[in-house]
Amino acid sequence: MAISNDKEFKSALAGLSASQQRQVAARFVQRVFVLSGDVRVKAALDFAARADITDADLTVVSQAANSARVESFTQCGKETDWTAQGGHFVAKAAVACVKAAEPADNLAWEAAMQARMARTCETVATGEGTENTEAEEQYRILEAFLNS
Amino acid sequence: MSASLEKGVRVLKEVIDAPIASYFSSCVHCGLCAEACLFYTETGDPKYTPIHKLEPLRRLYEQEYTLLGRLGKLVGLSKPVTDDELEEWKELVYNSCTLCGRCSAVCPVGNDIVYMVRKFREGMSASGHAPEGIIGAVNRTVTIGSPMGVKLPAVKAQMKHVEEDYGLPIPLDAEGAEYMVMLSSMEIINFPEYLAAIAKIMHQAGKTWTLCSTAFEATNAGMQIGNSDLAKLLVMRIVDGAEKLKVKTVISPECGHAYTALRWEGANLIGRPFTFKVQHIIEVLGEFQEQGLLKTEGFETDKLTFHDPCQLARRGGVIKQQRNLMNMVSKNFVEMPDAGYMNWCCGGGGGASAIEEGEELRMEAFKKKKSQLDVVKPDRLVTACANCRIVLEEGLEHYQMDIPVLGLTELIAEHIPDQTSEKGA
Repeated sequence: MAISNDKEFKSALAGLSASQQRQVAARFVQRVFVLSGDVRVKAALDFAARADITDADLTVVSQAANSARVESFTQCGKETDWTAQGGHFVAKAAVACVKAAEPADNLAWEAAMQARMARTCETVATGEGTENTEAEEQYRILEAFLNS
Repeated sequence: MSASLEKGVRVLKEVIDAPIASYFSSCVHCGLCAEACLFYTETGDPKYTPIHKLEPLRRLYEQEYTLLGRLGKLVGLSKPVTDDELEEWKELVYNSCTLCGRCSAVCPVGNDIVYMVRKFREGMSASGHAPEGIIGAVNRTVTIGSPMGVKLPAVKAQMKHVEEDYGLPIPLDAEGAEYMVMLSSMEIINFPEYLAAIAKIMHQAGKTWTLCSTAFEATNAGMQIGNSDLAKLLVMRIVDGAEKLKVKTVISPECGHAYTALRWEGANLIGRPFTFKVQHIIEVLGEFQEQGLLKTEGFETDKLTFHDPCQLARRGGVIKQQRNLMNMVSKNFVEMPDAGYMNWCCGGGGGASAIEEGEELRMEAFKKKKSQLDVVKPDRLVTACANCRIVLEEGLEHYQMDIPVLGLTELIAEHIPDQTSEKGA
């Protein structure tokens, strides 16, 4: 299956089970994990990537990843470090990977969007313009996942 | 007396205007303001009594403008204001006052204590006794144009993210647009979803809107530190942008002080009426709802409650709109005790959240919000201020309360049916 735009991307993600969504979402986020480096975020991604994750595991790693997300907010009035802010969005994406899922949720889409946001922050930090190909990379990851 | 203290005292004398004189002379020392302040109720320390936070200013008022005070000063019965005293008061005037206005609301003689604190901050700032965190924000506002150092390329990057990933156009410098949308740095940095929500809502409502490249930042650090010249400069930047683009309405974002600065103080600061209307985004959404321009589908079924930002509800009088909006998308909206006009502050307004050394006290004060939440036990907490949102998240994390926090504008946008181009979803 070839994916060429976000409509197809979102629709394909919505067709996956919650466990599959977590697995593919973890792959999206692993691409930008370098911007975070937080061990709690890494643990969340490692668990999300597993097909045998339990609800108890999810609760533990979700709480820890959420702490990483809250701690990495840029507070009002503080000078912005865009690289660190990229780390915040990585944590936010990781939370999406492991949060409790409602039937209508599209966890993987949410994680994908936050991962793109992390990459956008990186481009602001480096001052190298706003071009990034994260969306296309995510399409390829999903294609590979669906074909595996 | 040091040069900076001399300057500060001069500024303090200048800010004692007729309202301040009448407030000091009419205070009946009843202490009701103490019970209205979360820094007092949660610590029990009488130094956090709001009117006490103004003690150096009160003494100066008596020494300069009352007969007994002048006599007292002459014979050495009334102490002069010193640098050490102002330094000690820094915690009271900045860290433990969020300008939430609850004290002003309960004062039986109608003293606007917030007005007095803001005037006191002018002297504190001039004498070099403002907290480092707020000074840093002010310096960045002067040199970069934003308290958090956000420049136009960062805004453009977020615009591009929203345009590409949500498939919605974000107009920039569109002359003649009906609405000019302002952002707070917090929304640009932490909550880019807000911009996507605006795009979605405006698209559905069929309204023309724009961002302004020379005036995208709504936050007013001048108001927070107590520097009316800077506050005026920042308002003027927005006025220039809005007049250049000939917009009809400027929309203040989900940021409390940005709204107060522009909506309630702006015209007085620049000394003339605006040529455009100013509305908070929640007021705009309320209007769209009334006019049938906001069409949502589906309902949230978990238990939601709403935290009223002080500047919006108490200082701005916007109370009904957010409730109508909540009920539009929620089947289980519950109110916290004291919700609405007398809601308790998150503890981080008025620049307090930018003060690192005030964090421990903020967490102590957050017990008030915790007690409100403990009564209703919501599944999620909705608000309409980006700063409240982060302060709430930090407090909830500190007290290990698992209650997700979300913005009302985004919540509404989530219930608007998809209407985007092929690229977006």
